[in-house]
Amino acid sequence: MGCTMCRTVLRGFAALPVAAALALAACNRTPPPPAQSTESATPAPAQPTAQPATPVEGQPVNADARALEGMLQRINDYAALHKKLEDTLPKLSKESTPEEIDRNQRALARLIQQDRRGAKPGDIFTAEAQVVIKALLARVFAGPDGAALRASIMDENPGKITLGVNSRYPDAVPLSTVPPQVLQGLPKLPEEMEFRFIGRHLILMDVHAHIIADLIENALPA
Amino acid sequence: MFTRVSAAAGALLLLVIPCGSASSGPADGTVLQAAQPAPAALALTLPNRADSLKFAVLGDFGTASREQYELAAVMKRVHDAFPYELVILVGDNLYGSERPQDFKKKFEIPYKPLLDAGVKFYASLGNHDAREQRYYKLFNMDGKLYYTFKGSKQSVRFYALESTYMDPDQIVWFEKELRGSDSDWKIPYFHHPPYSSGDRHGSDARLREVLEPLFIKFNVSVVFTGHDHFYERTKPQKDIVYFVVGSGGKLRKGNIDKSSGITAAGNDTDYAFLAAEVNGDEMWFNAVSRQAKVIDSGSITRRK
Repeated sequence: MGCTMCRTVLRGFAALPVAAALALAACNRTPPPPAQSTESATPAPAQPTAQPATPVEGQPVNADARALEGMLQRINDYAALHKKLEDTLPKLSKESTPEEIDRNQRALARLIQQDRRGAKPGDIFTAEAQVVIKALLARVFAGPDGAALRASIMDENPGKITLGVNSRYPDAVPLSTVPPQVLQGLPKLPEEMEFRFIGRHLILMDVHAHIIADLIENALPA
Repeated sequence: MFTRVSAAAGALLLLVIPCGSASSGPADGTVLQAAQPAPAALALTLPNRADSLKFAVLGDFGTASREQYELAAVMKRVHDAFPYELVILVGDNLYGSERPQDFKKKFEIPYKPLLDAGVKFYASLGNHDAREQRYYKLFNMDGKLYYTFKGSKQSVRFYALESTYMDPDQIVWFEKELRGSDSDWKIPYFHHPPYSSGDRHGSDARLREVLEPLFIKFNVSVVFTGHDHFYERTKPQKDIVYFVVGSGGKLRKGNIDKSSGITAAGNDTDYAFLAAEVNGDEMWFNAVSRQAKVIDSGSITRRK
């Protein structure tokens, strides 16, 4: 991370996977550079949602980064809980049987659901973060590729469906594509989590437990 | 060097296997029987050389339908004549629920004869696949959403990508792997087609925007995908041939848009898979239908 703002933001988060995303937000939300090449293989970046404040050592980060900070901390907390509970289960090998996969997935889901009894929308996607993410998506989908990006996401998307935080991702619903151009604008998540869309709702999916950790209703612009 | 695609395979030997044959594979290049108009016979036009890397491509198959099972039986017949050692899966491996019994009826039972024969399946994930399939032993994904492996013969490396979630990490990884490979053939496969004439889905231009520059830069010659439920081979697009093999267990009849201008060959009237063979700078292919007919054939010379 090259900018002062990034260093400021990263203080206290350095070892956490989502810290980079917070820094990214503070750095005008440009995509992370490829490890080796800077040639044309990387996708076009998502449009920035806000101009960053002038970075000043020791000063608070810009408003977007601040808004995301609380969400990213909650994602880290969720990931820590996930890991703690997953560690109580037999570890899946790379050569697992379907029975082992299913048993492990459902057991982990039960543990998380018990621990997060009473979880509700907005527990992870804080109100402040929702505003930033919705604005980001609005900017991306208002761009010249907006219609195509929307078509990618809505391909085989079931449309209206009742969803619940902490509930199992519906078995019959295919996973939405999340185009690279959209992912580049969203914070990077820990390995066990993914952003997906169901209808216009953005969900935070726990892919190991196959459950919905949180959601933002109507995150996609109408 | 440009990719050269030959749709005619006149110089190749014709392997004709009567329906129900359970013979082991023929010797190198042996003509088993002269071509005859037997409706149920299987007439492959592949060199079938002993030192070739032989593989199959299958996609959008995990339905447990009668049609999936019938095509699986044809795959075994092809394997008897043309002993491919691996199958690359271009996603949508299990539709609907993924309970243990689903793995059985949607994968293990229909392909048991191939599994018993030692054929290895290497999966990529589609939009109908749970991420946890990566741990399933018979999909050989090594616990990863995207991965690479080398063929046991010839200079071939495969790249299984996860096209529903092409995050920056995966793109960086893919470029690094392409750059680090000295294989003559670099063959990516994944679910969403950068080029397709499908009325239902069609080309994924956003994915193409990200991947095509890498394909060009690192001399990829051929790409295998699925998602649209038919078989299609495109005309070379920027010298790269794209296959859509999304016809393993679902079929969307009449879905190929004939006005797309990119189709070299296509079939949206029957279920199908692809058998292929790499030897040196050439890759031969036969698309085979559930009726055991070769619905497309030809060869591709790799880019250099």
